[in-house]
Amino acid sequence: MSKSLKTLMAAALGVSLLSGCAYKSSSSTELTERTAPITMNSVVFSDYKLSRSWTEGIFGADKRYVMSVVKHGQRQSPTGTSEVYAVLRNHTDYDYRIEARTQFFDQDGVPTDVKPTWQRMTVPANGLSTYRELSTTTQPLQYRVEVRELN
Amino acid sequence: MFKKNALKTACGLAAAALVLSGCATQNQNIKGQPSVYEDVSTTGAVGGVGIESQDVVAMTDKMMRDMLANPMLTGRSTPPRIIIDNEYMKNESTSVINTNMLTDRLRIELNRAANGRMVFVGRHFSDMVQKERDLKRDGAVDGGTIRQTAAQAGADFRLGGRISSLDAIDRNTGTKSRYSQITFEMVDLELGTIVWSGLYEMRKAARDNVVYR
Repeated sequence: MSKSLKTLMAAALGVSLLSGCAYKSSSSTELTERTAPITMNSVVFSDYKLSRSWTEGIFGADKRYVMSVVKHGQRQSPTGTSEVYAVLRNHTDYDYRIEARTQFFDQDGVPTDVKPTWQRMTVPANGLSTYRELSTTTQPLQYRVEVRELN
Repeated sequence: MFKKNALKTACGLAAAALVLSGCATQNQNIKGQPSVYEDVSTTGAVGGVGIESQDVVAMTDKMMRDMLANPMLTGRSTPPRIIIDNEYMKNESTSVINTNMLTDRLRIELNRAANGRMVFVGRHFSDMVQKERDLKRDGAVDGGTIRQTAAQAGADFRLGGRISSLDAIDRNTGTKSRYSQITFEMVDLELGTIVWSGLYEMRKAARDNVVYR
């Protein structure tokens, strides 16, 4: 085997090892989402298999995702309760069965409304799906939607 | 030499006696398996194709939120009187379920969340109320402290519904699939019109041999 071929193989092996190290799995403790501050009026993936990002990789900041939030917001229902919606996009070739829930907070950031319940839904392969949730009170509310893969 | 052999035999016998005495003990001082509490709103360790706790929680929660967003039910200046019980909730499915679990949870959660926007008539307690009313009218007890009314409350709306299902079994793999459909409808008790409807449907497939009771 020639010397140049050996060098080339070693370089390829090194690059593949480095790229392997640069990738952070969903169980990594160095994911940005693990310690991110709680934000109101937001949609988060509490299951890091669906979406995760990091800043301390060998090649710097990076992210991996199979699903993303296209749009989210809230509006009033005819009776004055709040309706939260989140449009989710599946970036894979496979249907994903997920569950989502909404925690409502009042304007002071105090949790209010009834206990949040997981709502199951399917996001079709390379498609969109909309999650909706209604509050039970008529007071102005803030929301935080959590999304995870259905077990 | 003889003494050495005797000592070996004695040691062997002692060891055998110790082992046997260990085996002979019937009382086992071991910690038992603790009960495991599970979140009622998620799939537990035992899961099949029937209606389970997470389905009961999810469907009643969805119906409650939906009813509170309906102006026919909660947009009235005078809160409507509503009956929610299992009298007209029929189970026509192959799932074994006590329909009281659905109507009780729905009524209680709705009553707590409505906070006066709806008034619930406890028709399933009407016997209890009538007995007390009779005692008061007969003078066996005094009139209480709140008020007296000519009759028990009449209702404006009552919940009806149906659970139906469609089963399929793959005989090669033993996989069982069940599509369940649960309907909830609120009926005007004067006109007979349906003022609100809710639908919850799901399809589950499993190979587990789960028995529901």
